[in-house]
Amino acid sequence: MRAAFPAPSEPRAPAPPRTPIRQKVRAVKDTIEQPRAVPRAINWNRLQDEKDLEVWNRLTVNFWLPEKVPLSNDVQSWATLRPEERELTIRVFTGLTLLDTIQNSLGAPAMLADAQTPHEEAVLTNIAFMEAVHARSYSSIFSTLCLTREVDEAFRWSEDNPHLQEKARLILDEYDAGADPLRRRIASVFLESFLFYSGFYLPMYWSSRGKLTNTADLIRLIIRDEAIHGYYIGYKFQRAAERLSEAERQNLKDFAFNLMFDLYGIETRYTGELYDGIGLTGDVKAFLHYNANKALQNLGYEALFPPAACEVNPAIMAALSPDSENHDFFSGSGSSYVIGKTVATEDEDWDF
Amino acid sequence: MLDAELTPTSDFHALNAMLNLYDGEGHIRFDADRLAARQYFLQHVNQNTVFFHSLDEKLGYLVDEGYYEVEVLDQYSRNFQRKIWDAAYAKKFRFPAFLGAYKYYTSYTLKTRDGQRYLERYEDRVVMVALSLARGDEALAMRLMEEIISGRFQPATPTFLNAGKKSRGELISCFLLRMEDNMESIGRAINSSLQLSKRGGGVALMLTNIREHGAPIKGIENQSSGVIPVMKLLEDSFSYANQLGARQGAGAVYLNAHHPDILRFLDTKRENADEKIRIKTLSLGVVIPDVTFELAKRNEDMYLFSPHDVERVYGKPFSEISVTDKYEEMVDDRRIRKRKINARAFFQTLAEIQFESGYPYIMFEDTVNRANPIDGRISMSNLCSEILQVNEASRFNDDLSYDHLGTDISCNLGSLNIAATMDSPDFGATVETAIRALTAVSEMSAIDSVPSIRRGNDEAHAVGLGQMNLHGFLARESIHYGSDEGIDFTSCYFAAITYHAIRASNALAREHGHSFKGFEKSKYADGSFFDKYTSRDWLPETDAVRALFERLNVALPTREEWSELKQAVMRDGLYNRNLQAVPPTGSISYINNSTSSIHPIVSKIEIRKEGKIGRVYYPAPFMNNDNLDYYRDAYEIGPDAIIDTYAAATEHVDQGLSLTLFFPAEATTRDINRAQIRAWKKGIKTIYYVRLRQTALEGTEVEGCVSCTL
Repeated sequence: MRAAFPAPSEPRAPAPPRTPIRQKVRAVKDTIEQPRAVPRAINWNRLQDEKDLEVWNRLTVNFWLPEKVPLSNDVQSWATLRPEERELTIRVFTGLTLLDTIQNSLGAPAMLADAQTPHEEAVLTNIAFMEAVHARSYSSIFSTLCLTREVDEAFRWSEDNPHLQEKARLILDEYDAGADPLRRRIASVFLESFLFYSGFYLPMYWSSRGKLTNTADLIRLIIRDEAIHGYYIGYKFQRAAERLSEAERQNLKDFAFNLMFDLYGIETRYTGELYDGIGLTGDVKAFLHYNANKALQNLGYEALFPPAACEVNPAIMAALSPDSENHDFFSGSGSSYVIGKTVATEDEDWDF
Repeated sequence: MLDAELTPTSDFHALNAMLNLYDGEGHIRFDADRLAARQYFLQHVNQNTVFFHSLDEKLGYLVDEGYYEVEVLDQYSRNFQRKIWDAAYAKKFRFPAFLGAYKYYTSYTLKTRDGQRYLERYEDRVVMVALSLARGDEALAMRLMEEIISGRFQPATPTFLNAGKKSRGELISCFLLRMEDNMESIGRAINSSLQLSKRGGGVALMLTNIREHGAPIKGIENQSSGVIPVMKLLEDSFSYANQLGARQGAGAVYLNAHHPDILRFLDTKRENADEKIRIKTLSLGVVIPDVTFELAKRNEDMYLFSPHDVERVYGKPFSEISVTDKYEEMVDDRRIRKRKINARAFFQTLAEIQFESGYPYIMFEDTVNRANPIDGRISMSNLCSEILQVNEASRFNDDLSYDHLGTDISCNLGSLNIAATMDSPDFGATVETAIRALTAVSEMSAIDSVPSIRRGNDEAHAVGLGQMNLHGFLARESIHYGSDEGIDFTSCYFAAITYHAIRASNALAREHGHSFKGFEKSKYADGSFFDKYTSRDWLPETDAVRALFERLNVALPTREEWSELKQAVMRDGLYNRNLQAVPPTGSISYINNSTSSIHPIVSKIEIRKEGKIGRVYYPAPFMNNDNLDYYRDAYEIGPDAIIDTYAAATEHVDQGLSLTLFFPAEATTRDINRAQIRAWKKGIKTIYYVRLRQTALEGTEVEGCVSCTL
């Protein structure tokens, strides 16, 4: 139903005029959508795309809140970090907070208008909400581990850091109301599947060294969500792109790779600035390559970086998997519990 | 990165992590882990170990500097010390997996006070544990060293970590405390929890007797705030007492299913619980009587009874009453206030919470008490749900001193590695040595800060001999976990362990000239315990298992031998009130290169996370790229085969066994309920965690990850 979310307003003055691609997409959408005037209730029993339900189910069972993770168990571990390591960690988390904030308040809502099915809208609102939970989580980490002064300083840093601001700006430009909906999705996938990872590297690194392991549990929950977000938005992009002509698809692809190059350039500078001090820049870059390929794969494109450039430290790679971790029975909540499906027992179950 | 070279100079963490990533041909890289263990020694351990020229120099230094307890060494001649150390080093012990070595050096070995340098090698720790527990008996010390270093017997963490060290925690693993329905008892229990946590034990408390939310206090209605605030106090106490930062104190609380606060109790673990009532680090357990199942079968309501009123009516605490026996009586008694919930809805809620949090543990109250050979009532379990012993309430004076000193429960544990024990040159002697070691821990412990624990230990000398590496052993012998052969083996093995454990405790009773307190009222004293062993055989029923015991030369006790043992026990008694309990074995199974407990493996390559060491990867023992078939994991094997295997073992274990149930995330609460019903029907005593595994959504998985694939 379109009533609740009106279509994007007409482009503002400086924005380019509508491109042919955009008109085409609009036309395609109009043919598959209900007339705009009739508000319709969402019917989950009539699916246009099974993927919507699959992803919805996955996202809802994965629901979590930061309060679930006993972050205070990391207080002692935090104290063992050197001051510069602590500063780096806080900065990395403020950078992540910024990306989650963008995705929560602008990215996911911006895509709503271009949803192909009502169920996709529902999924996107879930994505938007979980991004808010993620942004909230970093503040939980801060309030548990850090001093207010340190945190305030890091937020100021994030506002002044040119690389962080530049990448945020590039993404925001694509989220702008006048931008092309498919380019918006490309930017969104890059944010979800690529831009987060320069930040995710650090908590994974600490946990592979036995530090901040509960914080790492929380970050793994975020990674678990972001992986699905990137995958789903990319999937929807591919479905929409299938309806375009070969030339239009090629245009989009050129755009995607150009954007990736731009973002990659910023990310390498950002990474260098953050990680040079502890000598991890090389390894983080390999991790960026790996995830850039993942992001492109989510859009249905071939890899950009050769395997040799993606040789991440195995300890980091292995740390990414949230499944079946066997933790000490009292030290944490792990990252693998989910909200279960409730089914009542029947008489036959009580057969004794 | 999947083709990353194995370079000898690689970081050992990275080498270890390669275990979790398939190589180019889709094989698991076991060689990377072996290289990781080797590099760990070359790059880290050897460079950070203090070097001594001789044993005399080493022992002199460690005693003078106050690292070793001189009293332990003084019980032996210098000559014998050299002999036992030489014998230990001659065994050429090597850690087969990186995690074992890493865990040992990070968490167990003696370090300099700044924590920077290692003072012990594995052999030193083993010898010090043997010398401590043997208390001057050279022959026993030698046997004990032999059992531990060969991997047959592994003392539990508190014993293995602490024995022989000058500044150390207690040797005992586990404590269970009662709480009665008065402020003196609650206050004392919190104080005792702090004391026991400080000394390194896990503590479980029973809340069943605490009056419910809204119950009257001094006759004024709606005054009590129920069990939740008590849980909050306990949770904070446990996180405060953290053993010099070594690890968080850990606690569990048990509540009867028919306590009126039961739903509030479970809701503390809800994902969206309010912060004021949310319980994060305290473990929960629910005590379920048979009647609850009967009510659910008939799809009726279950009544919840006010413990305050029950105690007034019956003159004894709620926990001392069998809810099953008194259910109808209590329902009809107007003096007992009650409310009701639907029994099936209760079980469903239980499963929902287990989905979200893994909790609560479950203790099947009537099953446990039917199987209890000791006089008295069992009303709770412990942090790992394997300790099941009787206890007795304490009463307090107004000045908080004891009016009546009751008994609380402690248990020291140690586990046999089933594979190594089956390879033992003398199966019976291995079991006996283990029982003697555990008994020594009990005799050497006196927890004066908690007098009820001290009294319980002094009177009972309860121990818990556990088992581990069942899956590893079965796989080594090409037997599938949960198959007929697997269950047949489990039954015979545990019967044989029980025979030798009782034989050892009987010998100890003769040596000491007395039995545990209350022996004369036990089913051992009147011989009825032995009925099931003298009236039928517990010998292999499958050819494969018969051949296995023959090939490994392990003789199984016959009915005649059981009859003789029965006579000896009825005549001379037993020294230990409790003998067996099968714990989940976390850390020690890695050091010992075993699969945990008698569970199936959770994954071919297990991802292990612990506060102190971060993420480490652990290959199942005896596994190689050719026998992967026998290493189906717990999620593939499913709850039924696990329950059946545990049922075969439960038959012979006087206390409990930590039984975790494993489900794929697609399971429903109904699947969990069905498994609970099956477990209860099969005579399982307790259920530990419910674990779920979610497979990555196709397209979002980490490439080439071993633990992520099904």
